[in-house]
Amino acid sequence: MNSLFTSVSAAALASVVVASAQIGGAWPSIANDRLNELSQNEQNWVMPGKNYSQDQYSKLDQINKSNVRNMKAAWSFSTGVLHGHEGAPLVVDGKMYVHGAFPNSTFALNLDDPGKILWHHKPKQDPLARAVACCDVVNRGLAYWPGDGTVPPLILKTQLDGHIVALNAETGAEYWKLENSDIKVGSTLTIAPLVVKDLVLVGSSGAELGVRGYLTAYDVKTGEQKWRAYATGPDQDVLIGADFNQSNPHYGQQGLGVETWEGEAWKIGGGTNWGWYAYDPDTNMVYYGTGNPAPWNETMRPGDNKWTMTIMARDVDTGEAKFGYQKTPHDEWDYAGVNVIMLSEQEDKSGKMRKLLTHPDRNGIVYTLDRENGELISADKMDDTVNVFTHVDLQTGLPVRDPEYATRMDHLARDICPSAMGYHNQGHDSYDPERKLFFMGINHICMDWEPFMLPYRAGQFFVGATLNMYPGPKGDRQGYEGLGQIKAYNAITGEFKWDKMERFSVWGGTMATAGDLVFYGTLDGFIKARDSDTGELLWKFKLPSGVIGNPMTYEHDGTQYVAIMYGVGGWPGVGLVFDLQDPTAGLGAVGAFKNLQHYTQMGGGVMVFSIDGKSPYDDVTVGEYAPE
Amino acid sequence: MNSIERDRTTVSSTTSGQFGLGPLIGAASTAICVALSTGIALAAGAAEGTEAAELRAPDGVLRICASTKGAPYTMKDGSGFENRVAVVIADAMGRKPELVWTDKPSIFLVRDFLDKGACDVVMGLDDGDPRVLTSKPYYRTGYVFITRTDRGLEIDNWSDEDLRKVKTIGYQFHSPAEVMLKQTGLYEDNLIYQYSLVNFTDRRNQFTQVSGERLVSEVANGTADAAVAFAPDVARYVKNSSTPLTMKVIDQNGLTASGELIPQQFDQSIAVRQGDTDLREEIDAALLKVRPQIEAILEEEGIPLLQPNT
Repeated sequence: MNSLFTSVSAAALASVVVASAQIGGAWPSIANDRLNELSQNEQNWVMPGKNYSQDQYSKLDQINKSNVRNMKAAWSFSTGVLHGHEGAPLVVDGKMYVHGAFPNSTFALNLDDPGKILWHHKPKQDPLARAVACCDVVNRGLAYWPGDGTVPPLILKTQLDGHIVALNAETGAEYWKLENSDIKVGSTLTIAPLVVKDLVLVGSSGAELGVRGYLTAYDVKTGEQKWRAYATGPDQDVLIGADFNQSNPHYGQQGLGVETWEGEAWKIGGGTNWGWYAYDPDTNMVYYGTGNPAPWNETMRPGDNKWTMTIMARDVDTGEAKFGYQKTPHDEWDYAGVNVIMLSEQEDKSGKMRKLLTHPDRNGIVYTLDRENGELISADKMDDTVNVFTHVDLQTGLPVRDPEYATRMDHLARDICPSAMGYHNQGHDSYDPERKLFFMGINHICMDWEPFMLPYRAGQFFVGATLNMYPGPKGDRQGYEGLGQIKAYNAITGEFKWDKMERFSVWGGTMATAGDLVFYGTLDGFIKARDSDTGELLWKFKLPSGVIGNPMTYEHDGTQYVAIMYGVGGWPGVGLVFDLQDPTAGLGAVGAFKNLQHYTQMGGGVMVFSIDGKSPYDDVTVGEYAPE
Repeated sequence: MNSIERDRTTVSSTTSGQFGLGPLIGAASTAICVALSTGIALAAGAAEGTEAAELRAPDGVLRICASTKGAPYTMKDGSGFENRVAVVIADAMGRKPELVWTDKPSIFLVRDFLDKGACDVVMGLDDGDPRVLTSKPYYRTGYVFITRTDRGLEIDNWSDEDLRKVKTIGYQFHSPAEVMLKQTGLYEDNLIYQYSLVNFTDRRNQFTQVSGERLVSEVANGTADAAVAFAPDVARYVKNSSTPLTMKVIDQNGLTASGELIPQQFDQSIAVRQGDTDLREEIDAALLKVRPQIEAILEEEGIPLLQPNT
């Protein structure tokens, strides 16, 4: 009964949209407005990161620091899948959409009676995909497009086997399906798509193996490709135009996607993107980070290797690159630069109001740029233990390396901080605009890198390195704990309002609310709430399995809920999941996270909380079998 | 502080042994653990007592380092051609041949076994390998191009016109072929195919290699237009192929764009530990006696033999 009502109201809304579109005549922006509008409604959580700004900040304050201690479990849902669960579910108009690790099932639940599955999309996938995926078989979530009256509302998902699928949000039926990445060439998909206007943006994974990374925009209604921008190669492939980096020519301008590589190595140069995207309707630009160059062995690719490891800003309609700032030229540590970008409006040090983007990078530096022209505003160490760079020169934009912590042949580097996992990885962080604070979940992990060479027969030699990962200097290196931190950071002053150590990495990221709270999950399986001002721990709950996703919040029938996915895995959890393919992942994770197994085991699902555990089932007749 | 160091050292030695596969938890690691424990047992046995005394080859036997993953050079049933050559040499030395097996790839034999005294000779290293003392070379051969005979390609050097007709080419990682392919412009476009031969396994910190047998079958079944390999890696498989294959020794050394010489032909010698001159002299003397038997084994294998630079 309820679901019928929902679908009728959605159709009614859609027809209103159609009518206004005909009057306005600005069709392409309509879906944008509608999705943007839905994202402003605090009842919803319509996209990864909550809104185009990706601030993961909710104005809901029913749950707040005075009552959070009364938060209790309301209901839960199992995805039926072990392995790592990254990202967060979506909530749109009274329905929750839940994703999962490979085999990438998608579920729709009615929030009035979440005990019944509205629909379940379970794709058949080539099992080869499992073998090709580098670091567990995670997926980071779904996107929603609200429909236009002709085409129904759609759920967009990626599959590990490289396919993008559009599902009818009402029925779960496949609306269109296309192949974005070919697993036969080592490329997979784990990313959550982002819908902007009538486009769906999707990246690519698999940079370890000579895949050339790209970002593609598809027509959300048909799956037709609109543009594709590569990370490396000639300007026409990277979609670099005449005005690229015109405000910051020292970042580099034309021709560098080829010139900063030896020979034709750009063809296999990596630079995939599998993190998150942000979008600003005013600049009409989409912002994201490109990943590490390939092949991994840095001696095989002399040069800066542009435009890998770059914060890219592109016109969303054409894909044309407007600015690009390379954070780690010629990467030698695997600091894949795909992390979250969050948008904010803040006064800079001179008091000038600016539109900013902030990006906690894997290399241990958190960057803030003017998102209109790319100017570098600040670049601070996430933690004072970062040692690969002494600092970032704000004039040149270049990181100043400490050669002691370089990774090269004939040099045994110990205590490199961060490790290859980065001080920050795929976690989706949050920004509290009231406090002007970014809440960052951090890895506190360092590594030794011991290179060696083994010649054998007939001119053959093998260059390898032994990687060991262990807690950073502030952790417990004997007990292998103290591998993570959570910090509140001001991007203008560069100061940390507070910081707290965690037993393991805060891998999944954070969510902030107007209830003066920061929520996050931990690898050992807790969801926690801290005071946004002080970091004081106010509430926690032990989940069935460890967390590598981020919390979200929504309101339904006047009640605020907080939801989080559990399911340990991902890179830090590879020691717990048997199917490991990437040996460095094994080295790093299994070494560093050897104690994780004493705290949690595999699982997979969603847990939902509210004050006093208020739920639809407070009315015990809801969902009961009713004989005729 | 000490215990930190000790702990990390433990992790390190475990992982360097298997290049990252050592510490995996789960079913996949069972086979590896066996290999690892063998390695540790061998090394530990040798590590007891004073080094100088223990690291000498015992009288009456010749302990030959051998990998179970070294086909066709070494094979557990002793049918690897180097196993057979080693037995001939041991006999000529009047010593009893004893194959000391490990499940680690051959590339680790010197560092993890010979140097630790678990065995006393490694067969088939490049002459003059600086890590060891090498005997007089007992054969010389080179890298070869392999094509299907019915394709009519006759490639025998890295500037060959027929190389332009090649789109997919299999080779061994880290080999001179990998260096030369970058000079030809084939490398980038071929890389995806090459990685498919190892199922896209990352090469980071583990020894990932394409077997000679696989390279030959790729050419025979038409998946690859050509393959490049060191002749002994592929000789027996080329010889045994039901599809006729052409194998051509690369007759000129390669040059990179920067003028660096990339040798394609190599003298192969027997290695003993640094300082073990007595054993080397014994081996050199034995080689003189059994050269015909050795050449017969190599010819039976199908290896094209060149004159060593003695």
